[in-house]
Amino acid sequence: MKKEKIIELNEVWKIYKMDEVDFPALQGMNLEVNKGEFLAVVGPSGSGKSTALNAIGALDVPTKGVIYLDGKDISKLSESMLAQIRGKKIGFVFQSFHLIPSLSALENVALPMTFQRIQIAERMKKAKELLTSVGLGDKLNNLPSQLSGGERQRVAIARALANNPEVILADEPTGNLDSKTGVEILNLLKNLNKKEGKTLIVVTHDEKIAKEADRIAYLEDGKVVSVKK
Amino acid sequence: MINDYFLLAFNSIRHRQLRSWLTIIGIIIGVAAIVALISLSLGLQATIEEQFEAFGTDRLLIAAQGFQGPGTQSEGITDEDISILERMPEFKTISYGSARSGEVEFKKETKFPFVFGGRNGKELLESSTDIAEGRYLEDSDNNDVMIGSRVANDLFDDKVRLRNKISIAGKEFRVIGILEPIGNQQDDNTIYITLEAYREIFGETNQVDFISAQVKPGVDILSLQEEVKREFERQRGDKNIDVVTPTQILEQIGSILGVVQAVLVGIAAISLVVGGIGITNSMYTTVLERTKEIGIMKSIGATNFDVLSIFLIESGLMGLVGGFFGVILGTLISLGIGKFSTDAGFKLLVKVNPELMIFGLLFAFFVGMVSGSLPARQAAKLKPVDALRHE
Repeated sequence: MKKEKIIELNEVWKIYKMDEVDFPALQGMNLEVNKGEFLAVVGPSGSGKSTALNAIGALDVPTKGVIYLDGKDISKLSESMLAQIRGKKIGFVFQSFHLIPSLSALENVALPMTFQRIQIAERMKKAKELLTSVGLGDKLNNLPSQLSGGERQRVAIARALANNPEVILADEPTGNLDSKTGVEILNLLKNLNKKEGKTLIVVTHDEKIAKEADRIAYLEDGKVVSVKK
Repeated sequence: MINDYFLLAFNSIRHRQLRSWLTIIGIIIGVAAIVALISLSLGLQATIEEQFEAFGTDRLLIAAQGFQGPGTQSEGITDEDISILERMPEFKTISYGSARSGEVEFKKETKFPFVFGGRNGKELLESSTDIAEGRYLEDSDNNDVMIGSRVANDLFDDKVRLRNKISIAGKEFRVIGILEPIGNQQDDNTIYITLEAYREIFGETNQVDFISAQVKPGVDILSLQEEVKREFERQRGDKNIDVVTPTQILEQIGSILGVVQAVLVGIAAISLVVGGIGITNSMYTTVLERTKEIGIMKSIGATNFDVLSIFLIESGLMGLVGGFFGVILGTLISLGIGKFSTDAGFKLLVKVNPELMIFGLLFAFFVGMVSGSLPARQAAKLKPVDALRHE
């Protein structure tokens, strides 16, 4: 079966200007990700893992090079176009959950749909379904501060799925969790990949997570040094 | 969508209640000051207009130049000048008189209220003032007085009643009428006698301080005004007599009030500007505090426009809430001052003014939006990656 590419990075550079010194976080990175694939990105601190993830997720534009997402060059788009892409095609899961503290679990999950101008009744129905599917059907109205770390990450995963994106990007999703909860979260993400066919890219330090992936990309000095099956 | 912006903004305001309220108080004070001052000056204008209307606008007011009201010195109008007017067919009634502060004794107590001596003034008084007890003074009542309400009730230790005797500059008079309160202290503190009695006790011969000449229906009052001026000039050989209409005086008062109003509202506006700066300051702090939230919102698909709208509406909402309470407070303050002033003898007609209230509300919302626009732009322009990294 021929695999369809969903993400392609072509000679991507990201150079941060820090006072007088330029810091190159990505140095001509090349990477291809197939649709429905589970890719783990590993590497030492400062190797450019998060920068690469941000560039793939349209959170940031590269200094040089081209990024294709679903066949479309996203490396030179305006901020409002990038926001559209983030809202529709990408679901982010962060290490420190990044929920909005003043909103309930339900409202947090519904928020991405708000920005896609989806009607409130539909939003609330979908958010409820998503939270139920991650096992939080009984905590819809809890604020993030009233949830455990594992529960917060479940809310974040439900939120990442709100607009039914093709790609889930997770940056150290288990980094702030104990190992038992970490396994649960990993299983949840794997399920999304296996059962719903979402493309899953996970940046991690965790060998256990990396081993579960279809492929592992090793990064060093802002470049992919090897990709293993 | 705009509803969603409102909900998100409202949620955020609620989440930092204390600071929101402190910020809002700044707006409340500014709006309350503006609403109170505008409605008080509107009330003042309405009161003055009402008194002029009771007095009638179909007349010419004539006084010697330099005459600034009862108690001031004037020289000029003589009986001959009055007879110039009396020869003109356009006038219906010509009332005239003089006034000064006089020594008045009642039950061995001496005070110095205004004493007004008038002729042909009964109709004028009847139309502008109600009688509380007794009857109006006639031109033949040379041994009687009619007194204002403060003379009757407040001037002396004992109240002055009908048929009581009071003496003015040594001559004894009998009280035949007591007037209802008019609403300004000076008029309510006046004793009315006939011009003849006035001239007798104060030793004046043929002068008067002012004339109020009512014109017949259908007469063009402005051309009559010019004619009277010309006639005075021709007969007297000088320009010492002022001839004005009540409308012209009203316009003059109106333009002075306008200046006073502008100054007062300007001062109140300063406090609103300070309130607005409070909102700006608070919103900058909020943007800083919520930088990460802004990053989160952008990472899940919020555009710059979304973020801008949420923050603008948030500051507008603070303005609106401040405007709401400010309008209520300002209205209550002005009603309170109106009542206090009327009770104290200065009639002030303050009314609840719906247009002013709506204006105050919208203006506060506008001030909130303007104050929030810079912080909101800053929030909107944040780069998602930088914002997310913010701790």
